[in-house]
Amino acid sequence: MTMNRTLEAKTLSAGYDKKVILQDVTLGLPAGKITAIVGGNASGKSTLLRTLARILPVKSGSVLLDGKAVHQMPSREVAQIMGLLPQSPIAPEGITVADLVGRGRHPHHGLFSRWSNDDERAVAIALKATGITELAERELDSLSGGQRQRAWIAMALAQETELLLLDEPTTFLDVAHQIEVLDLLVDMNTSRSTTIVMVLHDLNLAARYADHLIAVANKGIYAKGPPAEILNETLVRDVFGLDCRIVNDPVSHTPAMVPIGRHRVVRAENTAA
Amino acid sequence: MSMQATDQTTQLRGDIRQHANRRSFIVVALLSAMVLALFVLSLSCGRGCIAPPDVIAALFGSEASGASFVVNDLRLPRALLSILAGLSFGLGGVAFQVMLRNPLASPDIIGISSSAGAAAVFAIVILSFDGWLVSVVAVVSGLLVATVIWGLSSSRGAAGARLILIGIGVSAMLDSVTAYVLLEAPAWDRAEALRWLTGSVNGAQLPNVIPVLAALVVFGGLLLTSARDLDILRLGDDAARALGVRADATRLRVTLAAVGLVAFATSAAGPIAFVAFLSGPIAARLLGGSRGILAAAALVGAVLVLAGDFTGQFLLPTRLPVGVVTGAVGAPFLLYLIVRTNRNGGTL
Repeated sequence: MTMNRTLEAKTLSAGYDKKVILQDVTLGLPAGKITAIVGGNASGKSTLLRTLARILPVKSGSVLLDGKAVHQMPSREVAQIMGLLPQSPIAPEGITVADLVGRGRHPHHGLFSRWSNDDERAVAIALKATGITELAERELDSLSGGQRQRAWIAMALAQETELLLLDEPTTFLDVAHQIEVLDLLVDMNTSRSTTIVMVLHDLNLAARYADHLIAVANKGIYAKGPPAEILNETLVRDVFGLDCRIVNDPVSHTPAMVPIGRHRVVRAENTAA
Repeated sequence: MSMQATDQTTQLRGDIRQHANRRSFIVVALLSAMVLALFVLSLSCGRGCIAPPDVIAALFGSEASGASFVVNDLRLPRALLSILAGLSFGLGGVAFQVMLRNPLASPDIIGISSSAGAAAVFAIVILSFDGWLVSVVAVVSGLLVATVIWGLSSSRGAAGARLILIGIGVSAMLDSVTAYVLLEAPAWDRAEALRWLTGSVNGAQLPNVIPVLAALVVFGGLLLTSARDLDILRLGDDAARALGVRADATRLRVTLAAVGLVAFATSAAGPIAFVAFLSGPIAARLLGGSRGILAAAALVGAVLVLAGDFTGQFLLPTRLPVGVVTGAVGAPFLLYLIVRTNRNGGTL
């Protein structure tokens, strides 16, 4: 997996039905890196991810995977290169973890092809990487939220794609499980050089875990680049409408955002920078 | 070290898969055996019993002990229609339930069967059509009603309460059309009317059976080629798309196949009550999460119709058409599923 795929948007407009949510977006996702897309509620960050993953159609412009328009490529071919973990996938009743993870092999199967050793190996590796090998026989419904999310990520892993897109993979997880999931994504990124693109709510975790940050606001890209270069107080005010201080994260030496609200603020005169 | 661990997990996974496959295999084998046993029973027992060897002799053309007429002309078409209609309803029903992720969304609950039945009655009584033409009218009407229900409820993917309620309303309207047409046709006897109201395999003849067989081959084949995509669709539209499945195209194929199966079976045997609705959930419980629900549900459908017809003919004090028997079994199960679905929004 040394060949790095390129994914980019060219003058992309996207949205739902008649509503335009993104307009004239042009960007490239750095290959082999971790990119986080951040923005306020309803800013279009999820729309951007879903359009890149060709879940949503383009209104104009295009999404290019290795230079080819992804919306015109055969769906199965794309699914062998690029995976997506949606925000709220549905678990069929009574499905076991192993069966769910096995579903990730679907794009590698033809109409009549049988389950192969390759499939078996991919599922075993995905279970091991996510640390849920012991849960393989359990029903998904019987697992905790964190375990369930790991099972879904394992399904995306078993797909063995070089690009993996994730829509808010840490939502509904407590802070320990959030860190666990993000660490897991870094593991994948370093061991397989999988390109990772994710929508994240938590700006501080995004700044810590992403190599590349994309801030979405006003139907477009407000800023993009390494967190250390682009994350500042002006960005947070313009993108989220929030005053804050940016400090040095003592653990990762990445920028960390400390919000300033109306209450519980000491020496307010010093914070209005 | 890590290589070894991977080998172990591979081994473990293989065992699990084998276990699941074995369960699917056992369920399908047992159901097939039941269908075969009920088929032989239907051929040999009626008002009088004929020993199985004589049945086989009659089937293969020898004029043994006067059994030929009873077996070949009376019982064989009836038993064949029971099997084919059961397979068709079972397949069509489970296809809708899986596709719409709701056990209540079966074609006999949401009006597809009613529309096929109403169209068939209308075509026969008012337009004086017969044979294939009736089936074609039933299919077209089924597709039309499916489109209307989809349009009115416009729910993407999973079938919410809205789709079910609209379907039940449409179903009631169409049943009243059937009742009205039957009332306007005084020449019809009660037994024939019952066929269109609850479903019956009375008076089946080989020419009625052939279109159902053809539909089962064509639409059943179409459904089986979509089976894997249908299975992936259960994960939701976004996940399915990410796995390379085109959700809308799959839904279109599955809808066409399921309506075709249900409409052809209905135009031959009437809307046999609750068979389409019952087969999927029963199969799902037998399989317990293992794969192969389409085949299992089809076989459960055949068992239900064969057993229901035999019960209605010979095990009850009065003779009843199969639809009355399956209806009596199905109604309590419907209540159970409604209660359960309300509690956990259950998928199949």
